[in-house]
Amino acid sequence: MKFIKTHISLIFPLVAILLGLEFFIVFDRTTDSFEKSLQNGYSMMVVSKDDMSIDDFRSWDTHIERVQELEKSKILERLKMGSSGSKQKQFEASLPNFYSLKLDGYLTIEELDSVKMNLQKSSNILSIETFQSAYQSKYELFSFIKFAFQAFIIFMTIIGFFLIVKQMEVWNFLHAQRMKVMEIFGASLYLRSKVLINMAIIDAVISAVLTSGIFYLFQNSWVKGSQMEILKDNVASVFRYTDVFILLLMAIIIVMIAVFLVVINIREE
Amino acid sequence: MSNVITASNLTLGYENDEEIIKNANFSIKKGDFVFITGPSGSGKSTLLKSFYGNLSPEAGSLTVGGLDMIEIKKKDLQELRSHLGIVFQDYKLINEWTVEKNVVLPLWIAGYSADVQSTQAKRLLHHVKLSGKEEKFPLELSGGEQQRVGVARALAKNPFLILADEPTGNLDEYSSNVIWDLMENACHQLDTTVVVVTHRIPMVFNIPYRHFTIDENGSVYEVH
Repeated sequence: MKFIKTHISLIFPLVAILLGLEFFIVFDRTTDSFEKSLQNGYSMMVVSKDDMSIDDFRSWDTHIERVQELEKSKILERLKMGSSGSKQKQFEASLPNFYSLKLDGYLTIEELDSVKMNLQKSSNILSIETFQSAYQSKYELFSFIKFAFQAFIIFMTIIGFFLIVKQMEVWNFLHAQRMKVMEIFGASLYLRSKVLINMAIIDAVISAVLTSGIFYLFQNSWVKGSQMEILKDNVASVFRYTDVFILLLMAIIIVMIAVFLVVINIREE
Repeated sequence: MSNVITASNLTLGYENDEEIIKNANFSIKKGDFVFITGPSGSGKSTLLKSFYGNLSPEAGSLTVGGLDMIEIKKKDLQELRSHLGIVFQDYKLINEWTVEKNVVLPLWIAGYSADVQSTQAKRLLHHVKLSGKEEKFPLELSGGEQQRVGVARALAKNPFLILADEPTGNLDEYSSNVIWDLMENACHQLDTTVVVVTHRIPMVFNIPYRHFTIDENGSVYEVH
């Protein structure tokens, strides 16, 4: 009971911070692949007078990653022109060039406008269609979810840090007497802090294992059965074994900073 | 005989406060037993604190165990303290540690083996008449018993210098006698230097001693 009491007050805020960190890592991984699928599904249409190569497009804007020329015959086919072969060829020759452009990332609306404006500077380009309204609605929804999630993580982290500061005050109260006496009798800083360091490391390990466990369960139960596209396609991204080391390292860094701040603030009377 | 403590024009004070000890000149030799007396607030404890590096001199010089207490480095101060035995009026025991663990604190800091610590704890607790109380916690003992634990701790590593701040301040006669006997023995048999800050020199004292007093102006005199 005493063990639980002594440790829970640090483990709780530490787990809150580590959950925030792991959520951040997982969210970053899954949204990254979701962002890539959005990016792959999006292209802008450009109409030009003469042929243009990828370098021609890139000379106007570097966000352009791939260019695919749309075949005029297919466009005519879509228009279902009932004219004779020679007329169709004549018509085809008079048609401008159509290109589908893929971008190098999922750009913001402002960036997309900037790409459009840059391309419009070319006298060779007749028209640009960015399909902005569809793009915008997807982008805004995505941005909103991202923002809401990040705000939640930041909030959790702040609460966690406040609780750790509170715990540091408790540590100060519990350990100051012993550390001051030890200092009077010539104990080194490490020896004086040893009890606190050991306790903090145990708490860091427990917190990292707990957080990893939570995410392992999350991955193997809820995520695997989830119908959410973003999760279904990224089950493996939810939790990786390397995350245990990231969490452990982070937990140890946090507790060591807390221990250091407590120790340097305990001064001999 | 070599000097254990040497003060030359020693001036002590706290930050943003007036000087408490002014221009003190004295030396304490190996094997001396010294009482420091003086009215309340005259700076007796302040002077004692400077001997274990809790307070740095404002002016003059002070050497303890051959170390300059103004220029002393942290590492050297730790080393010096590990060879001192310090006794406080408020005992300064670690309440969450057992009596035995408190007694062997200086040995634990010095890295002695558990066997040596245990043997030494039993011997010291026998000397301070606390045999059988090894596993008790300080708050389970009376004030006199706690102070005897404090004295046992001070003697644990055979220090070359014992500094005691009002060691018998609030104690009963029995505990006071035990403590004076232990300090007399340490000084007489082991040639340990003992400096005791006290309000009153004990009526019965069996070994020769020196007596310093501090007046209201912070001047230190040797009475005899």
